Amino acid sequence: MTILKGLRSVLDGLYFGAGVLAAMCLIAILGLIIVQMLARWTGEVFPGAPEYAGYFMASASFLAFAHALNRGAHIRVSILLNAVRPGVKRVIETWCFAVATALGWYFVYYAWRFVKFSYDFGDISQGQDKMLLWIPQSGMLIGATILAIALTDQLIHVLSTGDHRIKTDSVGLGE
Amino acid sequence: MEELYAIILFLFVLFLLLGTGVWVGLALLGVAWVGMELFTTRPVGDTMLTTIWSSSSSWTLTALPLFIWMGEILYRTRLSEDMFRGLSPWMAGLPGGLVHTNIVGCTVFAAVSGSSAATLTTVGKMSIPELRKRSYPEPMVIGTLAGAATLGLMIPPSLTLIVYGVTINESITKLFFAGILPGLVLASMFMAYVAIYSRVSSTWQPNPEPAMSFGEKLNNSRFLIPVILLITVVIGSMYLGYATATEAAAFGVIGGLLLAAGQGSLNWNTFSESLMGATRTSAMIALILAGAAFLSLSMGFTGLPRALADLIAQWELSRFELLMVLLVFYIILGCFLDGISSVVLTMAVVEPMIRQAGIDLIWFGIFIVVVVEMAQITPPIGFNLFVLQGMTGHEMGFIARAAIPMFLIMVLMVFVLIAFPELATWLPDNLRAGPG
Repeated sequence: MTILKGLRSVLDGLYFGAGVLAAMCLIAILGLIIVQMLARWTGEVFPGAPEYAGYFMASASFLAFAHALNRGAHIRVSILLNAVRPGVKRVIETWCFAVATALGWYFVYYAWRFVKFSYDFGDISQGQDKMLLWIPQSGMLIGATILAIALTDQLIHVLSTGDHRIKTDSVGLGE
Repeated sequence: MEELYAIILFLFVLFLLLGTGVWVGLALLGVAWVGMELFTTRPVGDTMLTTIWSSSSSWTLTALPLFIWMGEILYRTRLSEDMFRGLSPWMAGLPGGLVHTNIVGCTVFAAVSGSSAATLTTVGKMSIPELRKRSYPEPMVIGTLAGAATLGLMIPPSLTLIVYGVTINESITKLFFAGILPGLVLASMFMAYVAIYSRVSSTWQPNPEPAMSFGEKLNNSRFLIPVILLITVVIGSMYLGYATATEAAAFGVIGGLLLAAGQGSLNWNTFSESLMGATRTSAMIALILAGAAFLSLSMGFTGLPRALADLIAQWELSRFELLMVLLVFYIILGCFLDGISSVVLTMAVVEPMIRQAGIDLIWFGIFIVVVVEMAQITPPIGFNLFVLQGMTGHEMGFIARAAIPMFLIMVLMVFVLIAFPELATWLPDNLRAGPG
């Protein structure tokens, strides 16, 4: 059991850690935009700032996916889930997590190919930043992988205990 | 014929995945995958990655997390208390009294936050207990709050408008300005309703407010002034062309942090909570947008948008009739889906129709926002109703009934918007050209 407990805390740490990293990407976006504005006002140019902000945006989104999932931030249509008996609910939850997990790993497989392709061919951004594209694309790959792990984790939990581990805290402010 | 079966299968998968509760973003991704497999011979996985990478790493998208963050910061300040205390002395003299603080409060908070749930909780937290204490009729208190909170989606910054703008590639700044006048008109319509109701109703007997001198009133609202200033800077910088939407959002975050610090409510806790909250909400929307980007590519291959646009053209619907069809369609859709999901899910199909009918896409953005706003206050899954249920402990049916007049006012707003399209198009047409 201690191994399982250890794995549990490692995984939870991974999800939260990725979320924190995503938050740092947001701060980086803020920083980039301010620097770019300052540059414009003082007549300087900061080439590639929009591209860099875009890369951080992608990393911020993907790295936070798993954390958002575990905290119940992702939106789903829950009418059916709320209406059925617990036994049926368990079946539907299993179906949802199974579909999501399959899609998650499917995405990871092609994301891996996508990044490897960029790496092998040394793809360079078309913008002024001249960035080697596999570097920012890795953020997407890592985030997607962590999401797929989180979905698998949840699926196993649903299969073994009948319920997921998503904890929705207070009001989501998405809408 | 085979084509038809494929389309039916495609739609079936769409309803199956969404209906059983697969997370919206992933459901869209799954449907898109099915569509690609059915209708093309392209390498599906690789196309998916190229599409999602370019949409997720887009520079226009960066306005989204920053505006969310700004709202999250202000949500965690003492703004709620200040809002009620600052607004109520000015509203006490109006017919309808302090119920107006709900509407004006929502309008003000809508201008710092793009979310209607945040608007609702910020204003309601304080105004519900205060209004109850003064024995205002409960349905009025709750109904106006449910209705006015939807202004959060219309008055800039608006998350729905950012998502709409990103989806159809229109200027977010223009969309923001298109929302201002209709938002204010809608707010005035709510206020007019309250005023009339208070004069006609026999049960309207709130406790009178103590009289206040002008100086006292001003003193009470001194905490609101920095917020108004922040709104002016954020919106003004966009209007005068000093800043893009993203840059204005950066002003908003910095301004929000300064404001919170000045109030003494900025500490590590509120800072990290606001940041993590913004990270999650923006990830939630990003997942939907990623799925939607792939879906709209896939939709293109199914030929569904083209076919529907042709069908609509064949019916020779007038613009008005087309808009009525869409109105009913979105109200029904809104019973099951949240606003942002409805917009991204349908735009791939609706956009060609709208273009063909010669309807201005900026104007249509405001139309669609009013319509999905209505969905926030209609059962079974009106989001604002849930939030209010949590806050007041009333039954869903009671809250939904209290919100019906607001729903009807919003329907009226749709017709006002159709009759006077300049409400939405005048400000964006007169914007100063901005940077990039």
